[in-house]
Parts: sequence; structure tokens; C-alpha cells
Amino acid sequence: MANFESLFRPLAINKLTIRNRVVSTAHAEVYATDGGMTTDRYVRYYEEKARGGCGLCICGGSSVVSIDSPQSWWKSVNLATDKIIPHFQNLADAVHRHGGKIMIQITHMGRRSRWDGENWPNLMSPSGIREPVHRATCKTIEEEEIWRIIGDFARAAKRAQDGGLDGVELSAVHQHMIDQFWSPRVNKRTDEWGGTFENRMRFGMEVLKAVREAVGPDYAVGMRICGDEFHPDGLNHEDMKEIAAYYNKTGMVDFFGVVGSGCDTHNTLANVIPNMAYPPEPFLHLAAGIKTVVDVPVIHAQNIKDPNQAERILDAGYVDFVGMTRAHIADPHIIAKIKMNQIDQIRQCVGANYCIDRQYQGLDVLCIQNAATSREYQGLPHIIEKTEGPIRSVLVIGGGPGGMEAARVAAERGHKVTLVERADALGGQITLAAQAPQRDQIAGITRWYALELARLGVDVRLGTSADAAMIRDEQPEVCILATGGQPFIEQEPEWGAAEGLVVSSWDILSGAVEPGKNVLVFDSICEFSGMSVADYLSAKGALVELVTDDTKPGVGIGGTTFPTYYRSLYEKEVVMTSDLNLVQVYTEGDQKIAVLENEYTGQQEERVVDQVVIENGTRPNEALYYELKPESVNKGQIDVETLYANAAQPVLSEPQNGMILWRLGDAVSQRNIHAAIYDALRLCKDL
Amino acid sequence: MLTDWLLPILLFGALALMLIGATRRVLAWRAGRNEPVAVVAGLMAMPRRYLVDLHHVVQRDRFIANTHVATAGGFVAALALALLVHGFGVDSSILNGLILLSAAGMFVGACCIAWRRRNPPGRLSRGPWMRLPKSLLVFSTSLFLITLMTADWFPAGLVGWVFSGLLLIGLALGLAEMLVGMGWGGPMKHAFAGALHLAFHRRPQRFGGGRSTGLKPLNLTDSTLGVAKPTDFAWNQLLGFDACVQCGRCEAVCPAFAAGQPLNPKKLIQDMVVGLSGGTDAGYHGSAYPGKPVGEAKGNPGQVIVDGLVSAETLWSCTTCRACVEECPMMIEHVDAIVDMRRFLTQERGETPGAGVQVLDNLIATDNPGGLDPARRFDWAADLELPLIADVGKADVLFWISDGAFDQRSQRILRAFVAVMRAANVDFAVLGNDECDSGDVARRLGDDATFQRLARHNIEVLGRYEFNRIVTTDPHAFHVLANEYGDFGGHYRVQHHSMFINELMEQGQLNLQPKALGRVTYHDPCYLGRYNGEYESPRSVLSTLGIEVQEMTRSGYRSRCCGGGGGAPITDIPGEYRIADMRVDDARAVEAETIAVACQQCTAMLEGVVEPRPQIKDLAELVSEALVTEARA
Repeated sequence: MANFESLFRPLAINKLTIRNRVVSTAHAEVYATDGGMTTDRYVRYYEEKARGGCGLCICGGSSVVSIDSPQSWWKSVNLATDKIIPHFQNLADAVHRHGGKIMIQITHMGRRSRWDGENWPNLMSPSGIREPVHRATCKTIEEEEIWRIIGDFARAAKRAQDGGLDGVELSAVHQHMIDQFWSPRVNKRTDEWGGTFENRMRFGMEVLKAVREAVGPDYAVGMRICGDEFHPDGLNHEDMKEIAAYYNKTGMVDFFGVVGSGCDTHNTLANVIPNMAYPPEPFLHLAAGIKTVVDVPVIHAQNIKDPNQAERILDAGYVDFVGMTRAHIADPHIIAKIKMNQIDQIRQCVGANYCIDRQYQGLDVLCIQNAATSREYQGLPHIIEKTEGPIRSVLVIGGGPGGMEAARVAAERGHKVTLVERADALGGQITLAAQAPQRDQIAGITRWYALELARLGVDVRLGTSADAAMIRDEQPEVCILATGGQPFIEQEPEWGAAEGLVVSSWDILSGAVEPGKNVLVFDSICEFSGMSVADYLSAKGALVELVTDDTKPGVGIGGTTFPTYYRSLYEKEVVMTSDLNLVQVYTEGDQKIAVLENEYTGQQEERVVDQVVIENGTRPNEALYYELKPESVNKGQIDVETLYANAAQPVLSEPQNGMILWRLGDAVSQRNIHAAIYDALRLCKDL
Repeated sequence: MLTDWLLPILLFGALALMLIGATRRVLAWRAGRNEPVAVVAGLMAMPRRYLVDLHHVVQRDRFIANTHVATAGGFVAALALALLVHGFGVDSSILNGLILLSAAGMFVGACCIAWRRRNPPGRLSRGPWMRLPKSLLVFSTSLFLITLMTADWFPAGLVGWVFSGLLLIGLALGLAEMLVGMGWGGPMKHAFAGALHLAFHRRPQRFGGGRSTGLKPLNLTDSTLGVAKPTDFAWNQLLGFDACVQCGRCEAVCPAFAAGQPLNPKKLIQDMVVGLSGGTDAGYHGSAYPGKPVGEAKGNPGQVIVDGLVSAETLWSCTTCRACVEECPMMIEHVDAIVDMRRFLTQERGETPGAGVQVLDNLIATDNPGGLDPARRFDWAADLELPLIADVGKADVLFWISDGAFDQRSQRILRAFVAVMRAANVDFAVLGNDECDSGDVARRLGDDATFQRLARHNIEVLGRYEFNRIVTTDPHAFHVLANEYGDFGGHYRVQHHSMFINELMEQGQLNLQPKALGRVTYHDPCYLGRYNGEYESPRSVLSTLGIEVQEMTRSGYRSRCCGGGGGAPITDIPGEYRIADMRVDDARAVEAETIAVACQQCTAMLEGVVEPRPQIKDLAELVSEALVTEARA
């Protein structure tokens, strides 16, 4: 176990030897492509994983084989044209250079897409049934189109092969075209492409045959399938075993990737990329079930983030490869660190799902805690080299994510770093966020920083308030203010914050204020904080109504995370109300009256409660900044042109007599963890 | 005159007593196992070995070397001349003059010895050895004055019979020490046994600037495997033990002794002497085995050594680093003796301590010490696509991987070396899963049967292919391939990677852009340095990398072992300190930030020292980090 013997046991897929049992499974990268062609950013993103020791990368989640399966929404790779081949060669070379292997997922997405863009296609599906997650209407696919798409699959696979990629994975998961044909929930056809088992299998089988014909017997071809659609009218686990065995029998499939859960509803989609609300490897049993009926290696990803967990799964033989995809997004050097016996230095994925939730909004995939991921091409480093310039004394005020990252990066550069934090623990708002039910794992971000700061010898002073006198006394050459913010509950005087009529979500989550019995939460932000405080209160036994003036409580939360909040809130009978603004709070006896006003009608209504909690974001703690600004050599300014160019701040190369002052994170304006960490990294990497 | 008739009696009497004693001694040695030696050639070569080879070692301490030349040279010359003059009555003023000169020289030497013995360093034995300088002074003075007297060079009036009588008593005492003691086990035994030891040394290759470090193969059909009792040693090993002068240079360099483990090479040799002649170690007046009292060990030629004379922990404390052998001015082979006794413990008694039994079982079952699946030997290189020699048939370099293949830390060294070879376009290939453990650990743990089986397997496999040389990053494998497989028919040109990389550098095959590393020291692995005399290549490699090596006090042939050799980490005999900690302290003393090493075992041992400590990097890693890689396409 300690040596990770099972994890480091090579295994062949067809003729391809994979150096270890860890796979970065197919996911939509989004930043990935320019018109469906892989970019430098894409190549460097995968090269970093290969450099870090990942065994196999399957890139290009949902890369399309046909011109009428739109790729632009998620900027996936377009294999419908020969133009892709030279791009693949760059990608393959970059990964092979480091001993990694790379395959690509290919698919036709059928109804699981959007029609209102690119070529404005009519989306197609076996029986023309609408898909709810993308609100996608579609036509019933015709026989001629079926055969064209089968041919498209074969040509796409050949392009991957010609481009030097090591294999292809046919997506028959996530309700793409192949498994749309499989599932009786979607395939209502009565011709030879629907109805009986054999008929429903036919499209996938013809695709498999055509692909195998195109690439020959020695090229790796796999299938990604689901383990159970979790729909009463869909495919259950026994159905999936039958399907896997059926394709396995052909001898044409070299591996199966198994994903627990279907995903054509919001609720099932959340299962597919389990966030921090889930236990580890929640669907391993489904993949293990598939493994019992097939003869080829089985890959399974889904909440496998920890090396010991991975080793345990592999050692027990549940599956042959573990997918550690988000684990690699958080730390592409995870394998190298295992090998270097630096397991404590692995930046472990916490399941915040910032990556995938951005993807579902069509935004580039980023890691909440690792700002270098996917920015390798811009020179943002995963491994920070020591400076060859002067060693400076750096004083960081504030131990939230921005302050911790600034201290870490400065210390990695070799500077003498002190971090001062008012609270008794590091973490800042992460500590608050981790108090809510099912959100505790977000504290993993802090845990890693605490370990790293200790390893790097940063002088961390907890329980210490900083003021201007103390900072002057320290005489730092660089002072970084990451002092965060304060709940902004004074925005509307009528809310009665000054009179103590309302409390903030921080008051509740920090335990400073006891939860009431009958509570109204007013959430103008509509992200995690409001949902979290409502969940926290109801878990403590409060009757809670969560009110927002926005269109839906939690509307700012991405597609894989709002469902886990909803599950928790609905179960505890939290009332969620939208479109109402909080205009006033007043007391009546020992009760509080919250006056709400409809955004669209102006109609007012009242709630009688014993506690009103407001989540209205933060205002920066900037007093210290303005006090120090005049005496700093740079007047507190960050040169944004060089910052955005990821270059060294000009002030660093000027003769220095006095203190450089920067401020970061919510101390400037409210953004999020990633923003604070990103700024800290790019600011300090050249310090 | 008194002297006229008493002198010959004294001289010949002492000689006769010496001869009787010597004969007994020789018979005691001959009770050991037979080992054929070239008698005449050995005796012919002896003077040169004594005067040149041995002197080279002694001369590391110039003071004592010169002292010894004066004393021993004076004594030998004076005795020979005295026999002529006083024994056979040759009357010659020239001879008399020469006796005076020799005795005077001896006197000066003896004075120096006496001076050093005023407050001797701890490594020197006391007891009779404290008496020796006095005996030397008495002998040389007496002989000087007697010669003056018999030559009538004394003012006649001064010579009274009392004075003559005193001189004769002095001479008699001197002769008793010098001649009788020589034959009967006094300190001067070393001269007689030492001379014969040099003549009949088991490793004549060591003389004349040569090197012989491979262990001798065990005859697996012997009735007793290994050495149980003193007479199981080869007779010339027993002879070698008698050559010990108890100077303690071995003790001073022994890493196990320094770490407070129960081993002192000098005491071990003296215990062998006790075993050879029978008795107890009560007459031993040097440092004890750390943690063990002196006086309780008993033995005799026919008694099993570990049953009362030497404890098994003493034998298992040795790292086989050869520092003692390297330092021994009498060229005694401590490591051979220790391994011989280990062979008995392991192969006859099955008493390999610590994890030893497990490791040997693993080697038997899986051909690797970790007991790992042999089919996984090349897992570490799954992504490197190394050419298998079975596929390519022949190659310039056969890259011997060794068991580092199973260890994650060592794999980094292996991968770094592959990168270096690839950068230099070296034509190399590997054996793949056909490679087995070299047998090094099995052999040092006393299991020569397993060693021989592994060696024969590897030799058979190597024999199938054509290659110019074997290159390995493992000095232990390097040693057995180069020096121990020959006994089983495996003769190869073997290079350690430091030598090979140095060649590549000299040929300009590597495009390097060294990085600044701060202060770097270099730790000589025992099996590369003392076992194979390779001190220069690693330093040359480092120098090419722009590194100015900060040498530790103990470096080169005096390098301190990391503690990892000879199966010591497996048998794991407790001491007061850890050898690896002491070695890292050596590096700290020169303020090194990096310890460059050239051995996976050293890497493991030194990295096992708690941080903060200098970082440990193998040469291959340092070189691969300095490689200029091609710009991104």
C-alpha cells in the first residue's frame, strides 16, 4: 500500500501500455479549442498532466464527429474535418514527450446540445424527444442520417489515429446519440433501430464496427457507458451489464469507462460529477458490476481524489484504472508527488466543482484553488522556481485564500515571509463556508495551504491583529494586504442593521449568533453563501424561508451543485421564494416583521419571524490600506497591464527605498476564491 | 669474560625458544582449512610487500612509519649482526660498528615509540604493548653497550662484572621480548606472523598497486558451510589474524564502532587470536565492543565462535564498508572473516537477524529482496520504451538496472540516467524481466548458495547477448558483476554510471547548462570507492557540472559508510547513533546544501536522515537536470 504498488502497475489497453493506473478522463475543457482545433492552451494543459506523471489522458470530452453536432457551445474538438490532424500531432507529441498516452473521446451528441448557434442545426434524436437540461428540442433521426453519422464516427476515429493520438473513446454516456438509441426512455422507435434489445444496440454496434474497420485491430478503441441511468423508465444496472457484455463479446472494445448515473435531468447530472456533498467513489459499485461481465480493462472516475483511496480501489480490483480528473485539475503533478513521497504536498481536489460548473455555463474550466491550471501557456507555473533576484522580507496581512497563496508563492520564491491573521486559524471565509452541511470539504483548500506554509517555513502569526504601527515596525519590503471584507448588511438602513434587527450569514455560520426558530434568510447574492446559511439553519432545526430578489434561489450556482443544495433544502422543507426584495425590518413585540416587495408588481407582503438573516455580500476592509497607501513606494498600486501579462511588477525592478504595498482579494472588491488566488499567484510569481 | 660464553647462549637460546614457539604457532595456523599458496613465490615477494606495499599503508601516518623503519630496521639489522658477532664469534670492527649503528637507530625509534606511548590515543591497545617500548629501549641499549664492551671500545676500567651482568640481564630481557615473545605470542609476534602473512596472503593481487575485493566463493559441498570455529578459517586467514599489531586504525574508521554498535574490528581480530590459541579475552587491553564488557569471551580452536567468543550481533553490525581493511597496515582481511562467520550463521543455523530471513526468503522466491512480483521489475520504465536486448540482439551498453527498479526513489535515478543516455544517443539495451538481483545482499548476509544461484542465472542470461560493456547506477551490482561473477565464469567490462557519464562528458556527448546548486559535497560509496578504487570519475563529473566539491574530512578512500552496505539496514543491530546521521553530520560540517551521491543505497540511507538536512542527489539526477533539452516544437 505504502508504495502504491497497484497504482504503479502498468497495464496494456490493446497494444498500448499505460504506465500506471491513473487516467484523466474525458471532460470538456472549454478553453480548449479555436473553432474546434486544439490550441496551445489545450496542448500545454495536457502536457502538464503528462509531465506530472498521469498514465493516460482522454481528452476532448464530447468531441464531435459530425458537422451537425455543434461543438462551439463547449468549444469541444471538431473531428469532422481533416484540418484537425496536424493539431493532434502537436498534442500527441507533447504528451508522448513525457511518457504519457493520450486518447480522445468522440461522439455525436444528438439531442444533448443547443441548436441556436453555429450552423443552427436541427438537433436529432432517435424519437425526437426534448432534452430538459439543455432545453433542446430535436427531430427524429432518419435512416440516411444514421448511416452518415456512423460513417462520420469512422472518419473521425481515423483522423485521431492519423494525428498520432493513442486511441478513441466512443461516448455512449451522458445521453449522447449512442445511448439515446440504447435507452427506452428516449428511443421509442419501432423500426430496426428501436424496440428490441438488439435493435436498440444496433446504432452503437454499427458505429463500433465502422470505427474498428477504419482504425484496424491494434488501435485502442473504448466505450464510455453509464452504470445505471437512475430513471425508472431508463436503463438500470442489470441492463447496463447486459449492454456491456453484448459489446464486449464482439472483441472490438478495448476498454470500458463507466460513469454512475445518467444525466439528462438536473438532478441526475449532479451525480455524474459528484461534488463535495458526496461520499468518496459513490458509484464504484456500478463500475465494479460492469467489470464482472467484461474481459477488458474498466476505467472509473467519480470522486476519486486521494492516492490512498485510488490504491485501495485498485488493490481490491474493483476496476483496472481510476479516473482522477478533477484531482489532476487541482494538481497535475499528483503522480509525481506520490512518487517523490510528497503526498502531503498534493493540492487535493475538494469537490467545489468550480471547474465543471463553469463548463456548464460555457466558460473555460478553471480550478477554484489552482490558478495555474490551464494557464500553463501563459507561463503561470505549477512549480515555482526560486528567485535569482534579491531576497525580500514580505509581510502578508490576512490568512484567507489570497493571503495564503501570496505567502506560499513568495516563500517558494525564497523570500522571508510572515503572515499575520486575526483569527485563530487560517482560511478566512473558507472557514465560514465549511460550516454548512455538506460543505465541510471546502476546508481542504485551507488544509493544503497550512501544510505548505509550514513546510516552507512561513512565519504564521495567528490570533494577531495588524495595524499600521505594527506593519511599520516590521519594516517589510513588500506588504500584501489580503484583509478580506465584512458582511454588507448596512446597505439599506431600513433593514435595521444598526438597530440590531438583522444578522449576517457570517454571524450564523460562525456560531456568533444562535439560530432562531423561525428564520427568514434574505439572499441578494444567490450563490453558495445564502443556500449554505439556509441549509445550516434548517439543519439546526429552524423553519427557514430563503427569499431572493433574483430569479431563483441559488441561481448563481452551477449545474452540478445547486441540485445537492436543493435536495438538502427541500428535504428539510425550506421554503424558497424568488422575485421578492427585502425593503424593511421592524419589530412587533418580540417578533420581527420582514417587509418584502415583489420586484415586478411592487406588491408588498410581510413575514413574521424571530430572526432575519441577510446575505448581501461583503464590503472590503480597506482602512489599513488607505492608511498605509501614502507612505508606500507604489502608492498601493498594482500595474494591471503587467499583472494581466503575467509579468513582474515594474516597481520590483526599481531601486527601492520604502515599502511596496499591494492589496488582494475581497479587500479590493468582493469576488471569489479563485480570483484571490489567481491575483496572488500572478502578482507574487515574479516577486 | 662472562659475555663471551653467555652471549651465544642467550642468543641461540632465545632463537631456539622462538623457534619452538613459532612452530607451535605455525601448527596452530595449519589447523585451519587447507588453502594452497605459492610458497616460494610468496616468500620471494615478501620483502617487497613488506617494504613497499605495507609501507604505503603505514606511511599514511608519517611519524609512525619513520619510527617503525628505525626500530624494526634497527632491530633486524642489529640482531643479524649480533648473531654473526656474538653468536658465531666473527670478530670485525666494521660489524661491531654496524651493530652500534643499528642499535642506535633502534634506540631512536624506541624513544619515539615511548614518547607516543606517554599518552596513547584510544585506538591503541595497552597491556604488553605499553611494555614494548621499554623492552625495545632495554634491548637496544644493552646490545649497544655490550657491543662496545666486547669490542673493547669501552674504557677498560669501567667494565666490571656487575655492569656486564646488568647488561646481559638487559639483553636477556630484550631478547625475551623480541625473540621469545615473537614466537610465544608477545607483541613482537606481529613481526614474524606479519612477514609470513604477507608472503602467504590470500589476496596476493593487493600487492603491487592491485586490488582484490571480491568475496571468495563458498564451496557448497563443504561439510560445514562457512566458519563455525577458528579452525574452519583458511590457515592463512588464521595467520593473518596473528599479524595484527593492535594499532586500532580499523577501530578509528569503523562506522559501526563510531555509532556505538557492538563491533570493533581490532577486538574482533584479537578474539580470533584468542580462539586460535585458546583462552579468554582477559589479556586484551584495547577498546571493547561498544556495550560489551571485556574478559568474558572464551574460545578455543575447536569451539564454535559465536558460542562464547564473539556475539552474533558483532558480526551483523558490519556494513562491509572495508574501511578497516583499507586502513590496516598489516593488510588483514576483516570483512572476509566476518562474512565467513555470517555464512555459518545463515546457512547452518538459519540465524540471520532482523529482516534477514525474510529478505533471503524473498530472494529465493522472487529473485528480489522485496519479495515483489518479478514480472514487475520493469514497471518503472513502462513509459520509457527501453530497448530489450532480447529484441535488439546486441548493443554497445547493457544497462543493468538492479533492484532499484522496485524502489520509487531509485527509479528517479534510473530514469535520470536513461535521460542522460538518450541525450547522448547511447546505443543501450536492457535485460527486462530476465534480470535478477545481483546477489550482493544475499552474499553479504552469508547466503552464498543464493548468491551463486543468482549469479549463475544472470551469467547465463548475459551470455545470450552481445554487448561491449555493462553500465549500472548501482555500485553493489557493479562490484559483484565486475569482481565476483568471474569465479563463476562471468567476465565483463563493467562501468559504474559515474565512469560512463564522465566518458560521455569527455567526448562532448552531453549538452549541459549547469544550474547553481550552492555548496555541494560528494559522498563516496564504499562499493565504488574502496571496493573499486573509483574516486575520480564522480568528481570529474561534478566538476564538469561546474560544481566545486566541498570535500568532507572523511572522503575518498577514507569515506565514512552511509550505513547501508552488507545488509546492515536489514539486520538492523541497534547502536547509540545511526551511521547515516553521522555521515550527514560530516556533510553539515562542511555546510553542504547538497550531498551528491552515486549509489541508490546511499541515497536511501542519507535521505532517511530527518530534515532539515542537505538534499541528496545522485550524479545522474544532477546531470539530467543540467541537460539542455530541445526547445518545444
